[in-house]
Order: sequence, then C-alpha cells, then structure tokens
Amino acid sequence: MTTQPAITVEKLNVSFGDSHVVKDLSFAVSPGESYGIVGESGSGKSTVLRVLAGLNREWSGEVDILGKRQPKIRDKAFYRAVQMVFQDPYGSLHPKKTVDDTLAEPLAIHGLRDAEAKITRAMADVGLPASFRFRFPHQLSGGQRQRVAIARALVLEPTILLLDEPTSALDVSIQAEVLNLLQALRQERKLTYILVSHDLAVVGHMCERLLVMQFGRGVEEMSAETLAARTPRTDYARQLLIASEGFRRAG
Amino acid sequence: MNASSDQILLALDDLRVDFHTPTGIVNAVRGLSFTLGRERLGIVGESGSGKSMTSRAILDLIPHPGVVTAKRMEFRGQDLTAMDKGSRRKLRGRHISMVMQDPKFSLNPVQTVGDQIAEAYRVHHKASAREAKERSLAMLEAVQIREPARVYGLYPHEVSGGMGQRVMIAMMLIAEPDILIADEPTSALDVTVQLQILKILDDLVTSRGMGLIFISHDLHLVKSFCDRVIVMYGGKAMETLPASELDRAQHPYTRGLLGCLPDLDHPRDKLATLTRDPAWLA
Amino acid sequence: MTDQTATSAGWHSWLTTTSPESRRQARLGQLYRQWLAFRKNPAAMVGLLIVLALLLLAAFAPLVAPHDPLAQALDQRLLAPSARNWFGTDALGRDIFSRIVYGTRVTLVIVMLVVITVGPLGLLIGCAAGYFGGWVDTVLMRITDVFLAFPRLVLALAFVAALGPGLENAVIAIAFTAWPPYARVARAETMLIRNADYISAMRLQGASQLRIVLKHVVPMCVPSLIVRTTYDMAGIIIIAAGLGFLGLGAQPPIPEWGAMISTGREQIFDQWWVATFPGLAICVVALGFNLLGDGLRDVLDAR
Repeated sequence: MTTQPAITVEKLNVSFGDSHVVKDLSFAVSPGESYGIVGESGSGKSTVLRVLAGLNREWSGEVDILGKRQPKIRDKAFYRAVQMVFQDPYGSLHPKKTVDDTLAEPLAIHGLRDAEAKITRAMADVGLPASFRFRFPHQLSGGQRQRVAIARALVLEPTILLLDEPTSALDVSIQAEVLNLLQALRQERKLTYILVSHDLAVVGHMCERLLVMQFGRGVEEMSAETLAARTPRTDYARQLLIASEGFRRAG
Repeated sequence: MNASSDQILLALDDLRVDFHTPTGIVNAVRGLSFTLGRERLGIVGESGSGKSMTSRAILDLIPHPGVVTAKRMEFRGQDLTAMDKGSRRKLRGRHISMVMQDPKFSLNPVQTVGDQIAEAYRVHHKASAREAKERSLAMLEAVQIREPARVYGLYPHEVSGGMGQRVMIAMMLIAEPDILIADEPTSALDVTVQLQILKILDDLVTSRGMGLIFISHDLHLVKSFCDRVIVMYGGKAMETLPASELDRAQHPYTRGLLGCLPDLDHPRDKLATLTRDPAWLA
Repeated sequence: MTDQTATSAGWHSWLTTTSPESRRQARLGQLYRQWLAFRKNPAAMVGLLIVLALLLLAAFAPLVAPHDPLAQALDQRLLAPSARNWFGTDALGRDIFSRIVYGTRVTLVIVMLVVITVGPLGLLIGCAAGYFGGWVDTVLMRITDVFLAFPRLVLALAFVAALGPGLENAVIAIAFTAWPPYARVARAETMLIRNADYISAMRLQGASQLRIVLKHVVPMCVPSLIVRTTYDMAGIIIIAAGLGFLGLGAQPPIPEWGAMISTGREQIFDQWWVATFPGLAICVVALGFNLLGDGLRDVLDAR
C-alpha cells in the first residue's frame, strides 16, 4: 500500500565541530502520515528537523523528500512543498512586521498572484479574526502568534509540515486549541507531519508512529499503540515513559 | 500561642497585587487567601493567573509600579504588612527562600558556585570562611552532587541545567529557611532530570520540616508531588483541594484544564478546549 | 472648540486601535504609540525642543537675525553685548548673534550630509558582514578596524589635508571617519538577529539572501543606528567645529561656529564674548542631540 515514502532519511550524520549530534539515523515517513520524534535535550531531534528543512547544511547521508534526492542547498520549489513551524512563537515572528506583512512575504517571494484572497483565507483557516490582519506580534498572545506562524507555513500550500515543539511554549488550554487546529488541517489538506516534541502525550495524541532518540541515535521506532500500551522494547524508551507519568514518592 | 497555630508558617488573607499603569489598574492577584503549614502546597495556573506574582508578593519582590495589599499577611505570627523594607529583606533568604525556573539567570556568572553557596550562608550566619565552605560542601552533597569538592570550584557556565538547579537548591536551603518557594523549578529541565530534582527537593523539605510552595503549570506534576493544590485563574483561587483529589475536581476551570491535556490512556480525535466563564472572576 | 477635541479624540482612537484596517493605519499607530512613550520623558522633550529650535532658526535665519552676518563695520569692532548687538561684535565688526543664527545652517548642512552618507554606508557594511560572516565579515571588518585605529580628528585632518580645506571636503572627511562605529553596531545587531527563528522562517520561504538582509535584517538594525546617530551628532558637530577652528573646514567669511571660536581666541581675555557665544551654541546643540538620543533609545530599543 505504501507506494513511495514522502520522506526517507538514510544514514544521516551531523557534526558541529567536535560534537557528533546525529549518528547514522535512518527512518522513512509515508505520505499523509504523522511521524513523531521524541527525545530529551541534546538528543539531536531538532537538528534532524533543521536538516530536513534545509536550514542546516553541515550533514552527510541521504535525504529524499517527495521522491527527490535533496542537495545541501534547496531550490525555491522545495520551499513550496516543505514548511516548518518553530517552537517559540515569540521568536519566530519578525517584531516589526504586521500579520499582513508576514503572510504577504512568501507570496511575494514566489510571485504568486491573488495575495489578497490567499491572506484572507490563510487567516480564516487558522482561526484568526480578520481584524487581526494589521496587528504587530506584540499585540498578539502566544497562541495567536503560533496561529500566525502556522498560517505563514500554510500560505504556500505545502504538502509536508515540519513541527518543532509547536506547543511547548504555550499554556495547556492553548496547546489543545493549536493541536486541534493542526489535526484538522492535516485531515483537510492530506498533509504529512513530522512532529518533534519532548512530550510523549502530545506525540501519542498527534502521531501514528514515533522515533525515540537519545544522544543522536534512533533508539526505538514504535507505533502510537505501543506507546499507549506502554510496551516499548528498549529500556530508555520505558524510562522516558515512566518519567512522563509524574513524580513517584518511594515508600 | 498554642501548638496548632505554631504549625501555620504563613497566613494570607485577601492578598491583592495591583499594577498602576498609565492605561489603568491591572489586578494581578485579586483577593487570594491561604495558609501554609509544614506541607507541600502546589499553586497551578496558566500564564497570567497570578501564581508567580503571589510568590513575589510574599517575598516583597513586586516590581514598580505594583502595589501589594492584604487584610492579613503573617509569617509565623509576625505581621508582614507592618514590616519595613529592611526587615522584609532580612526575612528573605534566611526564613523564606525561592528557587526560580532557570538557574542560568539566578547565579552570578563570574563567581564559582561554591563561593556563592558559602556567601549565602555567611550572609545569614556568623561563620568563618572555612566553616562556611564545609557547610557548602555538605550541602552540595545533600543535593546529591557526586564530587562536591570539584563542583564547588566550577563556574555557573560549566555546570549543566540539572546540576545548576541543584546548586540553586543548595544555595537556597543552606540558610535553613522555614519556607521554600519553588517557581517552576524544573520546567527548563528534561523529564528524567526533573524527577531527580523533585526527589531532592522532596527529601530535604520533608526531613527539615519546611513549608514548600510549589508553583507550576503542570497539573500532572503537581498532582503527583504536592499535598494540597490551589488552582488559580485570573488572579483568583478557583478552588483548593487535596492533590490526590485533583482528578475529581469540581470547578469547571480545573476540569477544563485537565480535559484539554492529551492523555495516552484516553486517546481522542479532538482535545477538549477550555471555555472561560467571566463569572469565575466576579 | 468642542468640535476640535472631538476630532482629536477620533484621531487618538483611530491611531491606538488594536485592529487597524490598513497597512498605513498600523504603521501610523505604531509611530503614534512611540510618540506617546517619548512624550513622557521630559529630558528627551527638552532635547527635541532644542533640535526643533535649531531647525526653525536655520529655516528662518533671515527673519531672526537682526543684521547681515557678513556685513563688516570696522568702526564697530569688538563691541560688548548690548541692546543693538545682543552677543556683541567680532574683530571685523560683524554681529555675532546674526552669525550664530546663520551658523545653524552650516552646522545642519554638515550634520545632514554626514548622516545621509554615514548611516546607510555603515548599515550596509555592518549588516552584510554580520549576516554573511566568513570571509565577507573578515574583509569588511579588517577595513573597519583600520579606520577605527586612527583617532577620528587626526584621520579627518589627514583627509582634509589631502583634499584641501573647505566645507565640502570637511563633510567628506568626517563621513569617511564616522562610518566604522556604525558598521560595528550594525554588525553586532545582525549577528544577534541572523540566527533568530524569524530569519530562519524567511529562509524557509525561499527568500534570497539579499531580500533577507534588506527587508528583514536592516529594519531591525535601524533603530539602534538612529539612536547612535543622534548621540554622534554632538561629536560630528564638534569635529566640524574643530576642523573649522583649525582653518580646514568652512572658509571665511562663512559663519561656522568652530571658525568663529578660532578667530575669537586671540581676544578671549579682553573680549570674551567673541569666542564664548559660538562655544555655547555648540554646547547647547550637542546637549540637545544627546538628550534626544536618550529619549529615542528608550522608545525604539524597547522590544
């Protein structure tokens, strides 16, 4: 049934100077799938995402996206197919640009017509009222900013969305709204997600399969069912699961 | 004073924190009342709920233009509202301490962590430099740092986040305060490290008979770690209940907060979202 | 009267609304909010008033000055301040007050020319060096270092000596020596910005390097450069005056403040007013720009 994977990563290695942050990592994501990458800080999970997005150019290995072997420097067409949402909604929007500027920029870069209608629709799709169009980021709450960031990613109508801890900086009630939005968008537009998170519950909710990473290596790939049943094979994955359950007072 | 009132370390009645800004008065805390004994009291809430402002008000650390008022604010029977700034400062660190979220911003970058702990001790106790150092080493050991002598000589940038937070806890507890306020002490840390830190905090607080105010946005953590929980929203306490009964909370806000968390055991297509009722703040 | 207050309230709400309806309204609203914040700082307002007064004096110099600044009257040499000559007269019998009033034009021309050349030059060099890094950074910054290694006045002197004295050459010399600190500021700012998520997001939109630098990095550096410029105004005025004092700037009979001090230095003990009033003018204007810079920093750098 799986014809051709949307994303294939083969023997990916990334080093920053002396530190080897991603080691021989391989995985594949099918079209329309939501794939989670879980790990603690320093596991290299965000680096993988930056390599896929073309933001990191110091890597070796093979990366195929939508059937094309990816070079270190991506072409313009690539960015119409792959977009990313960042963790910190306070840092990912230009402080001196209004929502309108932020959404108009990608359309201008790619010379797309009908900007007016596209901006209006993108805002409506992410549930932002039209009256917010000319607001600056400092006039928006964290959740609203993240909606703008999602709208910016969607305005080019990509097929793959890379999500780097998209809700970890948000309050839980806002997290629920943003996660619901991401779920709905994925169904509507048949998007492929890679979601990086430290929160197992979020990944379990959003993804069909996930990869646990530690010290730059893929430790275990499992399905969401395995996660929910708490039956991972490796010690490290089990340990993460137990730790995420909360505090336990011995005795 | 009878025995039971001696158990009450802190009593707050109708605490209010108002910020007088040019565009009007912002009420950060609106009439919060609680007492703290030798227990682990959790305060949960989302951003803007006033949970951090409450701890700052207790420590007299509200920045300008904030104004703190309370019908009653007592620390072991001493009226805090009647105290001058100097006496409040003496109380701070010696009797009431605070551990904050990110140790990076709370430690002096140009002084070794050991010297900072020793200094924290000597501010409140008359002690020789050697005695202070011995105490600091013992304290580093108490927060389960394996090589206290080596870590003593490290600078803050040379320690990891988890170790930095242990150092902060050592520094805050060396004066043996009666109350420790921990404001999101583990939010910047990985889950496994987080639990180690909580374990240390738990052991020290229990063994020394301190009162702990644990401020967090993480309901699961508070539920598993604290004895009692205050749920705050918009500067008010929505409800106060034993942590073990958090799952059976009555207030719609608490229920809403719990409901919108993704849960591995109860998978849903769509997460519940929270509808805020203005009546909660009336 | 009531009508007027009604419209001004209308403007106020139009500018401060949280949901503007157009790009223009959003921009103006942003400016208006900054102005409201600026207005609260009394020192900054004093600075602004001084600078405005300077501009008005320069614009209406012929109306303000009671005498022709160039008219010599050898029978009225070195007169003390009086009702007729408020600041007295100089060695050629010219009215010092009128010369100071006309001198605002010279000062402003120097300042404006320097600013419009130095600001963009420093901004582009600094942003390019900071954003691209690597060898671009190395080359640009070493050139900057060479310029920074010399004291500004000495370097300006060398340029003027090579180009010949005169107002235009003084401006060129000052501009050549003034840009390196600007490039440094812009570079430092850019290095902070270039790794921000919003710049990564732009790269992810497929934006070209040039577009990112010009449209996204430069606007973030402009406020700190504006602030830096207003601080620097005082220094530029003083260097211009210094060149004038040494006879290398504006040539006689142009009423330039530094040159006026220079000619008055022989009489400083007997006819104090000849050198003192132009000196005071330089002081007041330098102070005005500095106060303005302080106020702008508080408003513009608040992120």
